[in-house]
Amino acid sequence: MTVEDLADRSARARRDEEVDVVIVGAGPSGSVAALHLARAGVSVVVLEQGEWPDYADYTGARPEHELVSTKLWHPNPNVRDNPNDYPVDTSTTDINPLMFAGVGGSATLYGAQWMHFLPSDFRVRSMDGVAEDWPFTYEDLLPYQLEIEREVGVSGLAGDPAYPPRGAYPFPALPMGSVGQRGALGMERMGWHWWPGSNAIPSEKFGELNPCVRRGTCLTGCPEGAKSTTDRSHWPLALKAGARLVTRARVKEIETNEQGLATGVVYVDANGRDRRQRAKVVILCANGVGTPRLLLMSGGAGNPDGLANSSGMVGKRLMMHPFASVLASYRDPLDSWRGPFGQQVYSLEFYETDESRGFVRGSKWNCMPSGGPVGVSGATGSKVYVAESGRFQDFWGANLHENVARRFGHSLIWGIVGEDLPEESNRVVLSKDLVDSDGLPAPQIVYKVNENSNRLLKFNIDRCLESVRAAGAIETLVSTPVRESGWHLIGTTVMGDDPKRSVVDQWGACHDVPNLYVMDASTFPTSGATNPTATIMAVALRNTRRMIAERRNQKVA
Amino acid sequence: MSNQNTFFALADFLIPAHGKMPKFSDVCGYADVEKSLDFRVDLKPGFARGIAVDPANGAEARLESLNKEDSEAFSAITTIAIATYYMSPRVRELIGYPGQENVPYDSKATQFYLTDGSLGHVIARGRKYRPTPGL
Ligand SMILES: Cc1cc2nc3c(=O)[nH]c(=O)nc-3n(C[C@H](O)[C@H](O)[C@H](O)COP(=O)(O)OP(=O)(O)OC[C@H]3O[C@@H](n4cnc5c(N)ncnc54)[C@H](O)[C@@H]3O)c2cc1C
Ligand code: SF4
Repeated sequence: MTVEDLADRSARARRDEEVDVVIVGAGPSGSVAALHLARAGVSVVVLEQGEWPDYADYTGARPEHELVSTKLWHPNPNVRDNPNDYPVDTSTTDINPLMFAGVGGSATLYGAQWMHFLPSDFRVRSMDGVAEDWPFTYEDLLPYQLEIEREVGVSGLAGDPAYPPRGAYPFPALPMGSVGQRGALGMERMGWHWWPGSNAIPSEKFGELNPCVRRGTCLTGCPEGAKSTTDRSHWPLALKAGARLVTRARVKEIETNEQGLATGVVYVDANGRDRRQRAKVVILCANGVGTPRLLLMSGGAGNPDGLANSSGMVGKRLMMHPFASVLASYRDPLDSWRGPFGQQVYSLEFYETDESRGFVRGSKWNCMPSGGPVGVSGATGSKVYVAESGRFQDFWGANLHENVARRFGHSLIWGIVGEDLPEESNRVVLSKDLVDSDGLPAPQIVYKVNENSNRLLKFNIDRCLESVRAAGAIETLVSTPVRESGWHLIGTTVMGDDPKRSVVDQWGACHDVPNLYVMDASTFPTSGATNPTATIMAVALRNTRRMIAERRNQKVA
Repeated sequence: MSNQNTFFALADFLIPAHGKMPKFSDVCGYADVEKSLDFRVDLKPGFARGIAVDPANGAEARLESLNKEDSEAFSAITTIAIATYYMSPRVRELIGYPGQENVPYDSKATQFYLTDGSLGHVIARGRKYRPTPGL
């Protein structure tokens, strides 16, 4: 059976059938929960508003790639304009949230950079006096991280002194291209930390995943089926284990009974009809924007603040990792259109707090190829590198040819991800005027980049410029904070022990509705500064295991 | 001026001949432009507005006014011009771009950083993380 055949295996539950568990969202977190529950013999239905990916639609191998991908595979749903996504009201945010609806979720477009959170990420209050500690530790989560790595097929090199000792990665690190070598050279000359990139891209054939051929288009969908997404890594196994998946199913409400227990969900099917899926347990895996949106839409007329929101924290503390990028050009050829895009090298030199820098917490850097000629020209698209003067002539005419000659094939990009501290004023609310294709209210983002982040980014950009110049850069272009960079959506149904200050407990169960769970990054008390998907999937696995172990004690309607 | 010629005038201003690089109309025909528009039907309305007016005061003045007054049309014209140009096989040959090619590799080959000592330096610089036992 091929991945393409799987779509036919998806199936709705029988009318009025009550299943053990209904999961909203078939991205990385929902897929982990579905696979492990189904394997434990639990009856599971997953409802996903998007569709199965069609790999023929990924344009990476075709000449029109740069033209098509800036629309069809744009990570901002407002630009993509696909009815399967919901639009997002971004009139009140400094950073646009980025996501994708489909089997595989937002990871369809992810860079596949694979990083664990670090020990201090779980202890920011104890160590740095800010935000909150997590209810569990790095060590508690590590076994789940390693198990998920084996399921995903991660490639990398163990032994990084920026992490506690750990076992080997399932696959050897991908080859480091000239881009990574040049990035590492700058770090080496500064005497700073760097390490070969770890990526959710197996370097060898693994299950339904093909070997990566370095096409370099991971961020717009991998046409080779080499980048690990759960439509390939998890769903073939989950369907085999009996999980059922309904696509084009947009959940509009979580239903509860008089005792305040969840009884299932109502969703709009592909034909626009309302359907009910009854379930003993409901799990939300709709990401840091979709999950609070659904809770705010639920609870009925008597609950204007939505469901599971007695703490008033649903939607609050949104963290999106303000991001800066530095493009550096060199005289020597770096073949900088070649992948893997993910990360060829990363650095955790400035990850930990050093108060002399004027901010708390830190950053993670990743070194990536700069891509094709249209992108590096800076002349169109999201205008990442547009000049202050705003004069279009700076990017066109002879300047276009000069810019492309200097950058194309000769440049790298360092991405700088900064830890975002939680603030209640940064939040997801329901838009008053914008609706999705089913007439449901769109989420609105209210978000400001805070002073700590501004200082953090400035410090890191200055260091990054030192590093790329140490390696001989002849041109540098900085973008900060990048508006189109909300790819990490974290914190909007915070976990904690105190029902007055948190939405869910450490296992993802809502304090107010004990058979309603959240298993995506909405529950994270803090954001770390690494890419979050490894930690999202590991936390989902930890919660799922606990749910299975405790299933006889689960309170249900 | 026909709409097609208007587009070529604008595109040649945006992408003129320079050094070894040809100007837009030397390497792209209008059929190429139409093919690009078929890939991006969302750009068609803006593109049509952009080329509907004769650039009587020259291409630069017309682009200047589009940039200020109709950013959607400006974006459509420039996106189609640059994408079509860099899809041209001749242009790709000149800049040395084979496209997003397939480059198989040996996953077991020893990486340079393991033999030239560079990764050894990183390890020698010592532990970077802050342990959290008992916290
Ligand atoms: C461009 C980009 C690059 C990224 N790069 C990286 C990277 O390199 N490394 C990394 O670790 N992370 C990266 N990320 C982040 C990563 O994609 C997310 O962390 C991850 O996908 C989150 O998984 P999730 O399952 O929690 O949510 P998602 O993957 O967002 O999945 C949620 C799913 O729920 C569905 N859904 C939402 N609401 C409803 C509803 N009401 N009814 C039915 N279905 C619904 C959505 O359609 C979606 O499929 C990137 C993200 C983007 C956009
Ligand atoms: S670099 Fe590898 S994983 Fe990325 S798109 Fe190309 S083949 Fe796929």
